[in-house]
Amino acid sequence: MPKLQHIDPANKRKPGFVEFLPIPVNQYQKTVKDEKGNFSNEEFKAIYHDMVLIREFETMINLIKTVGAYNGTSYNHPGPAHLSIGQESAAVGMAWTLTVDDFIFGSHRSHGEILAKGMSAIHQSDDKYLLDVMESFFEGAVVNVVKKDFKGTTKDLARRFLVYGTLAEIFARETGFNRGLGGSMHAFFTPFGVYPNNAIVGGSGDIAVGAALYKKVNRQKGLVVANIGDASMACGPVWEGITFAAMDQFKKLWQGDMKGGLPVIINIMNNQYGMGGQTCGETMGYDVAARIGAGVNPEQMHAERVDGYNPLAVIDAYKRKRKIIEAKNGPVLLDVLTYRYSGHSPSDASSYRSKEEVEAWEKHDCIGSYGKQLMDAGEATQSDLDGIWMDVKALVYDMFLKSIDDEVSPRMRNAQIIGDMMFSNGSVDSLSTATPDVLLPLADNSRVKKIAAKERFAFDADGKPFSKMKQFQLRDGIFEAMMDRFYKDASLVAYGEENRDWGGAFAVYGGMTEALPYHRLFNSPISEASIVGTAIGYAMCGGRVVPEIMYCDFLGRCGDEVFNQMPKWQAMSGNVLKMPITLRVSVGSKYGAQHSQDWTSLVAQIPGIKVCFPVTPYDAKGLMNSALQGTDPVIYFESQRIYEIGEQFHKGGVPEGYYEIPFGEPDIKKEGKDITFLTVGHTLYPALQAAKELEEKYGMSAEVIDARSMVPFNYEQVVESVKKTGKIILASDACTRGSFLNDMAANISTLCFDYLDAPVCVLGSRNWITPAFELEDSFFPQVSWFLDMINERIQPLAGYISGQNFTDAEFIRRSKLGV
Amino acid sequence: MALIVILPKQGQSVESCIITEIKKKKGDSVQKGDVLFTYETDKATFEEESPADGVVLECFYNEGDEVPVLLNMMIIGQPGEDYAALLGEEGKEQEVRGKEQEVSKAVQANQPINQLTNQLINQSTNQHTFISPRAKNLATKEAVDINLLKGSGPTGRIIEKDILSALENRPKMTSLAKQIAVQEGVQPQRTGTGLAGTAKSTDLLPVQNTVYGVDYEDKKISNMRKLIAKAMHTSLQNSAQLTHHLGADARRMMELRKKVKKAMESGKLSTNITINDMVCFAVIKALKKFPNVNSHFLNDTMRLFNKVHLALAVDTERGLMVPVVRNADDLSIIGLANQFKEIANGCRKGGIAPELLAAEAGTFTVSNLGNYGVEMFTPVINLPQTAILGVNTIIPRPKDLGDGVYAFVPYIGLSLTYDHRALDGGEATRFLKQIAIEIETLEIEI
Repeated sequence: MPKLQHIDPANKRKPGFVEFLPIPVNQYQKTVKDEKGNFSNEEFKAIYHDMVLIREFETMINLIKTVGAYNGTSYNHPGPAHLSIGQESAAVGMAWTLTVDDFIFGSHRSHGEILAKGMSAIHQSDDKYLLDVMESFFEGAVVNVVKKDFKGTTKDLARRFLVYGTLAEIFARETGFNRGLGGSMHAFFTPFGVYPNNAIVGGSGDIAVGAALYKKVNRQKGLVVANIGDASMACGPVWEGITFAAMDQFKKLWQGDMKGGLPVIINIMNNQYGMGGQTCGETMGYDVAARIGAGVNPEQMHAERVDGYNPLAVIDAYKRKRKIIEAKNGPVLLDVLTYRYSGHSPSDASSYRSKEEVEAWEKHDCIGSYGKQLMDAGEATQSDLDGIWMDVKALVYDMFLKSIDDEVSPRMRNAQIIGDMMFSNGSVDSLSTATPDVLLPLADNSRVKKIAAKERFAFDADGKPFSKMKQFQLRDGIFEAMMDRFYKDASLVAYGEENRDWGGAFAVYGGMTEALPYHRLFNSPISEASIVGTAIGYAMCGGRVVPEIMYCDFLGRCGDEVFNQMPKWQAMSGNVLKMPITLRVSVGSKYGAQHSQDWTSLVAQIPGIKVCFPVTPYDAKGLMNSALQGTDPVIYFESQRIYEIGEQFHKGGVPEGYYEIPFGEPDIKKEGKDITFLTVGHTLYPALQAAKELEEKYGMSAEVIDARSMVPFNYEQVVESVKKTGKIILASDACTRGSFLNDMAANISTLCFDYLDAPVCVLGSRNWITPAFELEDSFFPQVSWFLDMINERIQPLAGYISGQNFTDAEFIRRSKLGV
Repeated sequence: MALIVILPKQGQSVESCIITEIKKKKGDSVQKGDVLFTYETDKATFEEESPADGVVLECFYNEGDEVPVLLNMMIIGQPGEDYAALLGEEGKEQEVRGKEQEVSKAVQANQPINQLTNQLINQSTNQHTFISPRAKNLATKEAVDINLLKGSGPTGRIIEKDILSALENRPKMTSLAKQIAVQEGVQPQRTGTGLAGTAKSTDLLPVQNTVYGVDYEDKKISNMRKLIAKAMHTSLQNSAQLTHHLGADARRMMELRKKVKKAMESGKLSTNITINDMVCFAVIKALKKFPNVNSHFLNDTMRLFNKVHLALAVDTERGLMVPVVRNADDLSIIGLANQFKEIANGCRKGGIAPELLAAEAGTFTVSNLGNYGVEMFTPVINLPQTAILGVNTIIPRPKDLGDGVYAFVPYIGLSLTYDHRALDGGEATRFLKQIAIEIETLEIEI
């Protein structure tokens, strides 16, 4: 919605037609003979070798899964194996021209792509680079296994390294590329430009776009390929990723060297089946998947279908598409036609296709037909090809034996180490060595000047509150922390809906537009999966990013990204990857059932995310600083009820300088001795009011503790408090059933059992839809509900009559009804 | 017809009283006006008299029990009379509860300890007493028998508060007794053999060789003591006190005292007017001239009284009490003397109206230690009053009688403590001097 782009009604209302360009289908029909001179003999044979390597590798896994042995050696692999036998030419063609600076992302069926891209990197790299990579990776733990008793060349050693590292990873060995924590569907090796493969169909569709964003914004070499299946084109996040990648602003609004499209190729590995569903003819309607490009942008994503059974066709396509990417005309869509003979997985009985169909494709087999071309062109003899097969078979068997040897390829001896890998717990000022791109000195910023005139503590010397406008507000705390980092870390970008000119829906980003160029702060499409998904790709590549979800209720729209991707990759990579994302999520109110839900519990339950919910300006700034200094994914909750609240607790007000508040440390906002209130989120304020009423009317003094963080969480202060008071109410705006407070309550009961004078009580919202604002006081915990609960469940208050029914019978009645 | 004797409510804020002595037990015959039992609030002790002639048909509580006010205490009637109808439903419950307690106490008194423990276990299983973990830990630590408690938590759960209040009200235990009680899981007998009913270890176990026992005992302080402690500590913490000392020529008073004695001997006077009465009379006169001293200091306001409500410190067995004579400036010296005697006796015997004991009731206090030979002291102000006069003993001091003649003259010492927040030194000194003048020029009618 930039003002400089005028939407002219006269122009927009004109009649006309949307015209499409023809989308090429299998236009490349050359053979080895036609390409003679464009490839050396070694290259022609290397292409053959790489395909054979993949074929043998996957055949080995297939045999282990189906007959429990390979070359007469038994082995049981209980884990998954999604094979791509038949698709080798598509993988090798895709990877052939890519350099180590080009990143590929894959799917659950990406063993072939790992080997293809790995071999491509080995072909292209010099010995020194390869040795450095191998020796430094996990301090040589992987290479040491394959180096022993090996006398060959460095490139041969690298090939052993690649095959062994991948296989050991599939077999969950500590010497695997991801310490055995990724496994078959998630194995990857970043030094060769192989980024995470993803077990969620289409999972890479938005993550890869984020990686391309990282390359662009941080001026990094290379392009990014998203290898996703034909069936994933039905997935929302894939479509959202594509939409994000094709945003007009890259070419129309981004300035200077940032102007231009994202360097990303959406590469559909089109094997024509999604598990057992036939995409063309049954489960999709696109006929040719490349057609999708026509619906995305005027360039039609430069889409075309390529015959993926001919490795030379794919190589040709990649050579041409690279030029488009380098001319900043991305994104690109490639529909690489292929076929797998193997089933979706070992349990696949292929009941959905005929034997004849499989046999027909086998007659076209990419390796067989390419080998024939080599011989026809005089580039190789049958014995050359047989030699390649013999060599590969010997290699694969050798690596197989090493990877199943518990002595040299042990499983993680102490699985507790997984706990240490859930968070990287880094503390890094800047993730970039570049000078941050900004538009004006921080001191000249209009918002910074405005804040300078504000009162950083809510009350004057006499305890009288300053006017709301005069107070340094919670939103100012977030702003200060983020601006500080924008000027410190060139890699930091922030985006989401209405983040730029509007200043964020809740005015947190007011004043940022004038300070930051488009490529550091921009509006995203209204598609949360792409907002979070691209952030994951961005962070994975090494950049710091603050995506924003306008309402907590929209978390469902990026469910996979938040539940499956963001939290998992640090540990699944064996700590190779970091995930410095601070996802801002705003909890609404007043807007009814789909805009007023506190879903903190949903994310607190997922291992691998830090979760905080600051509700004072001091805490907001300090926790945002910690989030932005760290290297872990953080979900940073905010409450729309209190963006304008001033600092009422921290003596001396919110410091102007930099400070951090550690995650997991609750804060006592008010001391007391008779009962403890532990709150998460905005409920701190009603709890404080309840404490006041309790003290004035009933002589009970309440200690009020603000949890501030949910994950991690240090119980020590709370335990100390409960030891003193013997009573505790936990309260938040989340619906009571399944609330994270119940988890905390159980822990407090365990830790404080002998000190309790009453059951640990949880006070949450009703298990209903959030009603209209006017009815919210019967839904969200109110001041009086604290007293009701004390009176009913903890200690009867003299002369008090409860408003809410917190009796056992009512509790059971509601539970029976599920409300 | 039988009559119910309830436990009267003495004073607005009194919720319950402790039964100090039951003078007429169940079955005893009584006459109207006989003292049935005595009871105490946190401020005073009272006697309850029988409303009629007859027999004590029922007594619901025992000595040492804390009984909520207005509950039935005794029933007086004719022997064999059926009083059930009198009680109604509620009363029956009360009666049953009383009986249960009696039974369990009898058991405790007569049975060996191990049997007693079993009994207690049985009781707790039968009664389904629910108790919070915190309360349970405290009860175990302090050797409180939870079976005797009624929980105030939700659904009657015993919570920490209940244990604390039980500790407050149960017979005091020596620390050794407590320790043994915890170890053996037994309770003391209802009334101990130690000082003031303190349960000693010997109340739980056979006699031990005291030579090797502890040579101290921890005694819980009484409510009265707590109140005094609090009032005194608060006074010293929350005000700016200092004391001026000055002597007054006591010859006039001693002369008057002789007259009083003579008048009493001759029967002309029935009231004994003491030196203290005279000093107080003089103080009242001085106060009329210094209204600022006859006041309360209330932080942001001074409350100046038109009348003098004079408080007098009285030493009793239960501790220091400071009853008030209201409108003391309306009284003659004889009236004042009579009033003093009445309230002092009320304090010593119990039965004084609680509202006369409140610090707020008085406007100025006199504390007389002269009888004990004290020559000088610094009395502590009874807040919110602004000053207190300490009266010392009379001692002869040399005085210049003029013409170079010196003589020993009896002087009475006066020690005025005042709150410097309310009064300045000049005014306080002038007031003190005025008292001396009043004493030296005292006129009384006998």
